[in-house]
Amino acid sequence: MTFDQVIPDFGEWLFGGFIISLIRVSLLIAGGVLVGFLVASARRGPVEGFYSVAKVIASSVVDFVNWSVPRTIAMAMLAVQEAIRRRVLIAFVVFVVIILFAGWYLDVESDNPARLYLSFVLTASNYLVVLLALFLSTFSLPTDIKNRTIYTVVTKPVRSWEIVLGRIIGFVTVGTMLLVPMGIVSYFFVQRGLSHEHAVEEVAAVSVGDVTHEGETSYDSHHRHTFKMFEDGTGETDVVMSHWHPVTKTDEGYDFGPAIGLLQARVPVFGKLRFKDRAGADTDKGINVGHEWSYRSYIEGGTLAAAIWTFENVTPERYPDGFDLEMNLRVFRTYKGDMEKGILGSIVLRNPNPSAKVRRSEAINFTAKEFVSDKQTIPSSIRVVDNEDGSVRDGNLFDLVDDEGRLEIWIQCGERSQYYGMAERDVYILDRDASFVANLAKGYVGIWLQMVMVTSFGVMFSTFLSGAVAMMATLSSIVIGYFSNFILEIATGSLDGGGPLESLIRIVTQQNVQVDLEIGKVPLAIVEGIDGGFMKCMQAMAGMLPDYGHFTTTQYVAYGYNIDGSLLSMQLLTAFCYVFVVSLISYYLLKTREIAA
Amino acid sequence: MADQVAETAPSKTGDKPQAESNVVIETRNLSKVYRDFWGRQKVQALKALDLEVRKGEIFGLLGPNGSGKSTTIKLLLGLLFPTSGQALVFDKDASDVGKNERIGYLPEESYLYKFLNAVETLDFYGRLFDMPADVRRDRVNELITMVGLDWAKRRQLKEYSKGMTRRIGLAQALINDPELVLLDEPTSGLDPIGTREMKDLILRLRDEGKTVVMCSHLLADVQDVCDRIAILHQGELKELGRVDSLITVKDMTQVRAEGLTKEAEDEIREVIARHGGKLVAMENPTTTLEELFLKIVRDSETNPGRRSTQEK
Repeated sequence: MTFDQVIPDFGEWLFGGFIISLIRVSLLIAGGVLVGFLVASARRGPVEGFYSVAKVIASSVVDFVNWSVPRTIAMAMLAVQEAIRRRVLIAFVVFVVIILFAGWYLDVESDNPARLYLSFVLTASNYLVVLLALFLSTFSLPTDIKNRTIYTVVTKPVRSWEIVLGRIIGFVTVGTMLLVPMGIVSYFFVQRGLSHEHAVEEVAAVSVGDVTHEGETSYDSHHRHTFKMFEDGTGETDVVMSHWHPVTKTDEGYDFGPAIGLLQARVPVFGKLRFKDRAGADTDKGINVGHEWSYRSYIEGGTLAAAIWTFENVTPERYPDGFDLEMNLRVFRTYKGDMEKGILGSIVLRNPNPSAKVRRSEAINFTAKEFVSDKQTIPSSIRVVDNEDGSVRDGNLFDLVDDEGRLEIWIQCGERSQYYGMAERDVYILDRDASFVANLAKGYVGIWLQMVMVTSFGVMFSTFLSGAVAMMATLSSIVIGYFSNFILEIATGSLDGGGPLESLIRIVTQQNVQVDLEIGKVPLAIVEGIDGGFMKCMQAMAGMLPDYGHFTTTQYVAYGYNIDGSLLSMQLLTAFCYVFVVSLISYYLLKTREIAA
Repeated sequence: MADQVAETAPSKTGDKPQAESNVVIETRNLSKVYRDFWGRQKVQALKALDLEVRKGEIFGLLGPNGSGKSTTIKLLLGLLFPTSGQALVFDKDASDVGKNERIGYLPEESYLYKFLNAVETLDFYGRLFDMPADVRRDRVNELITMVGLDWAKRRQLKEYSKGMTRRIGLAQALINDPELVLLDEPTSGLDPIGTREMKDLILRLRDEGKTVVMCSHLLADVQDVCDRIAILHQGELKELGRVDSLITVKDMTQVRAEGLTKEAEDEIREVIARHGGKLVAMENPTTTLEELFLKIVRDSETNPGRRSTQEK
């Protein structure tokens, strides 16, 4: 997994993007009022229209002042009872059945079973709950209106706001009632599915360094390990299927501890990236190797080009035994070379303080392969280069840290005419692991937030559309939300092939997307004009609807990375804003419609 | 028509004081046009209706199907918005949700949540009035007993017969002890006993000082209970006034007596002829079928297993 998306600090985001969002919401509200005025004016003339809009706004103030929480709860309880009596909880049974038969279609010999199992349970939960929210939220209100049961509700002192909010809270409660047991079942399914024990198959005495014995474990859970025992009586197995076991010598033989590395929540600590060009001069970016994604830039091998990360707060208290450095470098080859071997590179730790006594560590060599994550352990005791005489001696990692706790990590590519590609988030220090259970819960919070937003949109569409149409509209909003980046690329013309109409013509006439459309000057201008309108609409839609991908944190949990608090806060606040705005729109839609029409 | 509008609400009970003159419902030039999706006029359901309903009266909206009765009720409840004119309930615009605090509404079909049982239904509607839990519980029990559904209060409404649903529908309309009760076809779906009980209840509500507005096309029901009626046809108000004055045939006199001999009857005929009158009919009166049915049922309950003592 790579951290392609740069997650800003919550504070920066709040006072940047969030304020822009607030402006957008204000514009949306102003637009809504204008549309309301235009519709009312068309029906009754501008004076009456103005009066009607003013009356609705004034009465909505009264409605909000008289908002009753018990009434909202009553509406929510009704929604819950409705869902339960209609046997919605059967979705949980479906989930359990899917889990029970998971062994039939999951690859039990996967290289990383934890990733597979976690992706599976999280994705299954996500789809089931979002689908459930979609059906519940879109059909309930139209059914009430169709069956006229709503007559007996709106003729009580119930505000439209309470009806809308009650529905959302009710359906979210039902979804939560499903999601919580799903999360618990998922945890036990993954934990029990991955938990295994080994025994000794064979062991032999050796004398290589401090290794006293080598052996092999029994074949359990579709794999076996080799293991080594050291002079101090401890030992460890090799890494198979992304985990290893600690081994201890006991009177009866060898005891293999629990699997380590399966269910984890690694905490990456990111630094700031800068570059040196091939002559060793400072530069903003590395080299653009052409077709590659502009997010990464490249450094040339065998030159002075370097990528330099500066990490802050590297203190002995935080990393008493050193730290692990994880690298997800890209490799760009200008000649093939030996594809089995990676491209050689080096890591040098440097003190940012130019007058420090010890300026750099000895180079640590490594090989980088395309799409393979590489982990380097940087111990607290390392070999350093003395600044005065240039000799290499044993030193301490923290001798390379300046007074402000900063440490520089220089990465260079060692092979001439080969390149390393990197972005700021490709190299990071691994902090102490966070709790896996808490991380799984955070993953489920992301799913929960998606469910909340789908429910809100479903309720909004159901205030003025029939059940089936509301469902299609909500489904469209979900699809646009999940593919908002792709849609934005089409809408802004970043992708070849033009807008929807031009694409359609290309499909029908079988014209390549790379060439200009050959339909004549005037027709082309018409097509581009129509597409321009479409693309503006698409841009507006993709910009307004929630980016559901932003809430999908399945990958974090499955790949064993902790979900950052900033990300979670942004998700929560974004979802809250969406729910608030959508509820407000739903309120006005319901309030201004004739229930009995 | 204006003098009729200004009439004071009468009372059928002679000793009952005249109802207060407070206006509970007022419509001014109320009109409703149904339009299609494109805004084209489909039908004009109500044409410039002017009405006043006063506190403490039973007011009947009468008319054939499609005459605008239900539209009027829906406009008064804010379920529809007027095309022009105004509907005021308790001096508030009909679209004002606040007025619903004082209103009870029984729709034509009891549109209730079938997945709830009777207690849950009434409890839900009670919550919508922000009633405290203990008050709500007492009120729910009281109403269930009143509509005679104690024996079925834990059954889901989907298992209820039409009459039972109607009763629980009435109970929900009364959950807040409303000052104004709007009943849309209140006796629809009820058996004769239920119909009588409903009519008795409507009268009782009036006696408690509540205002009742009901719409129906069952003339006998309206005649039995309403103090005043408005007759609508094709969206227009055709007649408005006190029921007893509207149905009185002013140029005809009806004499009813019992225990007369043949000679006495002949003598009455002579008297009518002497005064230039024309005898239209002199016969033994019949009761209504409703009265007959109720008597048979009551007899049967008093003497189970025996045939009716009704004279042949």
